[in-house]
Amino acid sequence: MKRQSKLTSRQSEQEQQFSHQEAQQHSGHEFATVEEMLRHDASHTHVPLSIAHRLKESIGQISPPRRSWWQRWFGS
Amino acid sequence: MNTTVNQPFADRKTTRDRPSGPVPSDSAESHAPAPPEIALPPSKFADIYNEHSRAIYYLALRFLGDPQKAEDATHDVFLKAFRKMDSFRGESSWRTWLYRITINHCRNLQQSWNDRHMFSNADDAVWDNAPAKTDSPFRVLETKELGQRIQKALDGLSDEYRLLLLLVADEQLSYEQVGALTEQTPDAVRGKLHRARKAFAVLFEKTA
Repeated sequence: MKRQSKLTSRQSEQEQQFSHQEAQQHSGHEFATVEEMLRHDASHTHVPLSIAHRLKESIGQISPPRRSWWQRWFGS
Repeated sequence: MNTTVNQPFADRKTTRDRPSGPVPSDSAESHAPAPPEIALPPSKFADIYNEHSRAIYYLALRFLGDPQKAEDATHDVFLKAFRKMDSFRGESSWRTWLYRITINHCRNLQQSWNDRHMFSNADDAVWDNAPAKTDSPFRVLETKELGQRIQKALDGLSDEYRLLLLLVADEQLSYEQVGALTEQTPDAVRGKLHRARKAFAVLFEKTA
């Protein structure tokens, strides 16, 4: 009996969670201005990780500036 | 430099007046995605990248309207910034400096694409007589498709209006800075912004 009541309470918990998620999905948003909407959109935009990886590679390929003849000559 | 900040448009002080209106129940800050993993070795440049990459990527994405082009553009912008870092004199903020590089880069890309396709944006005068409720809030039922709808609406605008809206949405920038970036006075920015908002509202309504 106890086990059954535990199960039903868990079921109702899950149902509540589901209906809450569903409500969130369907409640929508209201933005006062275009800018507010764009800010929301920007904050939900992910920067692809590949950009940082590509940058790391590109920066690695940049050769260090060549030392001028007098720097090589005088060793500064 | 603050390395933890990775939300380009959140919690920033601004010299502009903030618009008043209903606050969305589900604020952007509370559901902002986690900061991306840092792939660059710790350095001043990595700090700059972590702080500004989202703002730069977002501008490129919505200005160009293509994720792949935006990715390439963001890479190229930061590589250019890396090469020119020593020449940065601090006369502007890093954000403004990076925006300038991004705008020039995106305009060059747009120009070469437009030249090849004989493409021109809508004439801005079209929006002057268009009926639009700019004072009423934007109600969006499905946030899943919000990005697509925003992109569609932005694509219908001229490059100038699109850029203005995207820059003004960044709370780090004042009208003076937006004016400097778009080579016009702050008053001109205000005037054009009014028309840009109206045009966006008309186009956004059509995407529903």
